[in-house]
Amino acid sequence: MTTQSKNLTREEADAFGRELDALRQEVTADLGERDLEHIRQIIRTANRSEAAGRLLLHFGFGPVSFVLGTSALGLSKILENMEIGHNIMHGQYDWTRDPALDSQRYDWDNVCTGDDWRHSHNYEHHTFTNILGKDRDIGYGFLRVAPEQPWKPVHLTQPVVAALLALFFQWGVGAHDLRVDELFAAKQTPAEFAKRARPFVTKAGWQLFKDYAFFPALALANAPRVAFGNLLANGTRNLWTYAVIFCGHFPEGVRVYTEAETADESRGQWYVRQLNGSANIEGSRWLHVLTGHLSHQIEHHMFPDLPAARYPEMAPRVREICARYGQGYNTGSFARQLGSVIGRIARLSLPGPKPAAKTMRVVPEEAATPLTYRAAA
Amino acid sequence: MISIQEIGTGWRSAGSVVARRFLLDRQAEFWMGELDPARSLGEIRARVVAVVEETEDTKTFVLRPNAAWQGHRAGQYSPVEVEVDGVRVRRCYSISSPPGEALVSITVKRVPGGRVSTWLHEHTRSGDILRLGTAAGDFVLPAATPEKLLLLSGGSGITPVMSMLRDLAARDAIHDVVFVHHARSRADVIFGEELSELTARHAGLRLVLCLDDEPSAPRGFEEARFANLVPDFAKRSTFLCGPGPLMDRAERLWESVGASDLLERESFAPTIAPAPMVSSVEGVQVRLARSDRAVAAKGQGTLLEQLERAGERPAHGCRIGICHSCKCRKQTGTVQNLVTGEVSSEPDQEIQLCISVPRSDLRLDL
Repeated sequence: MTTQSKNLTREEADAFGRELDALRQEVTADLGERDLEHIRQIIRTANRSEAAGRLLLHFGFGPVSFVLGTSALGLSKILENMEIGHNIMHGQYDWTRDPALDSQRYDWDNVCTGDDWRHSHNYEHHTFTNILGKDRDIGYGFLRVAPEQPWKPVHLTQPVVAALLALFFQWGVGAHDLRVDELFAAKQTPAEFAKRARPFVTKAGWQLFKDYAFFPALALANAPRVAFGNLLANGTRNLWTYAVIFCGHFPEGVRVYTEAETADESRGQWYVRQLNGSANIEGSRWLHVLTGHLSHQIEHHMFPDLPAARYPEMAPRVREICARYGQGYNTGSFARQLGSVIGRIARLSLPGPKPAAKTMRVVPEEAATPLTYRAAA
Repeated sequence: MISIQEIGTGWRSAGSVVARRFLLDRQAEFWMGELDPARSLGEIRARVVAVVEETEDTKTFVLRPNAAWQGHRAGQYSPVEVEVDGVRVRRCYSISSPPGEALVSITVKRVPGGRVSTWLHEHTRSGDILRLGTAAGDFVLPAATPEKLLLLSGGSGITPVMSMLRDLAARDAIHDVVFVHHARSRADVIFGEELSELTARHAGLRLVLCLDDEPSAPRGFEEARFANLVPDFAKRSTFLCGPGPLMDRAERLWESVGASDLLERESFAPTIAPAPMVSSVEGVQVRLARSDRAVAAKGQGTLLEQLERAGERPAHGCRIGICHSCKCRKQTGTVQNLVTGEVSSEPDQEIQLCISVPRSDLRLDL
């Protein structure tokens, strides 16, 4: 459920941030073998599921083994992209010093390159979350997901465009950091664009080759079945990740910020923005794992480099802190949040509504950075 | 002409590129580990086949390394990596077994407060897997065994010289060896029994134990007693390993008689003591190992800001510690994390430049 967040003064926001920092410290100090065991167990599950899926697709016959094989392969792709890849690349396991879990070296089973993702997501989206003009994840530059975005006639098509994006989501993610829109707006030269695109094109080529030539060829007579199974598994992963990610930032009640509002934000205000720019999904332990714990988008945005499996135990504490500072905590069932996102995309395809009035923050006399609080050294 | 071997190497490297592009390399590593945890495509792993209690505070871990292990020379050490509370920590230990055997031993004294030695003592059992590094070190017997040898050690410093003695014994090359070892008491002599056996078996081996608890004996290394026990020490090729004070005194003695070039030494305590912490960043030297440049810190600011002010352009992103793009290996020195307050002074730790401030001179892998 959503409640409107109270506007906090900088002092209040900093006190709020310090409480979250204390929570962060507490969890950091407690990290240990259990966290490592968790991620290794998920890696084990994903690898076994992939092996089972491939064996069923390659050597099975008939529809039952096809459905089972495709599901197992889809499950492994979801686990690998979400709980494993996304979280490792965030640096959630860098503290283990295990090279297999190193954020800067990991690459995931997705057409998006690890490097592009680290730049567009870990850096840009997580630093400038929901700042119009700075966070390119707000509607990915072509969807209108907030009334603050000016309406254009092209937005009339967005229900269809959004549905197509769901089907081909990994391609949208993969092309995101290439800034195609800037090419059309002549903000980057074709040469720059080509340079940017090269790693993506290379990786996408290998991925296509792997899924639709290499593995099918290994299956000999079963080649069409394997290629189709791979397509469905990739598609399942696309739909699932799309739904989860859209529920994280686009349901009703999530707000966007202007650059002026965030011009010299303190660390506490950065936390407030992360909270008000994100929304959670409620569900069982397995739902959380399958979303890579992005169902705890609020906690993820506050603590993007803490092991995500810790978010469920942090959430009640975060929620309690939010309540004390009069901050809304946007959460709901998967159906509710997804329904809200779909409704919003449909509604915002038409002009209006007028953005809700927000109290502008008073520009403080003293500069701060999101690294420090006002009084901190 | 292209040889068969070159074709083989070519195929293998092409195969590894394809495996990496298909993301199958990590799966291959995973399944290999599932079938046998000691196997790996890249890592040197070893299965612990026995744990021997040598003394009250010292254990020998007998290891069977996988095929990636390339052997060692007598006197060398190997990096040993364990997971302590989920964190990989690495220490170097001298190998105490002789070269050329399928089993490799490290002998570890439990150091009070030592993370790795304590972990090995308390948690490592037969059947466990340890990760090793390539054996290294110049403290080795020369290819041609010197005519007259002196092996001089103290405490757990006995481990590399024991490997040498065992090597000589295995090759039946003990002609004229004096083995002088210092310990607190007879019960603290690591490999005591084996040393006695070797002495009984080899006429060319003389064993001298200097024990602190003997009546009217000096504690540790003492020049007069030593010169008395081994009058021709200055003419012997000497291999020295032990605690710092012992090594320092012995070294001065060798210097005083002009025999330093016959003395080889190995210190098992860290040679680089953590640099003293400074509260002000000003004037701290940041060495960039890869580009071979140095930057002097000026005024306030994080390492990232200091480097940028000096014209360096290290990779970075968010500048607030969340995206890990600026992660880099700190080879030596002490830094403090501004967000957590945590101080890192161990060598070879990953740090985030954008939220770290230097607390001593540093060397970064940049």
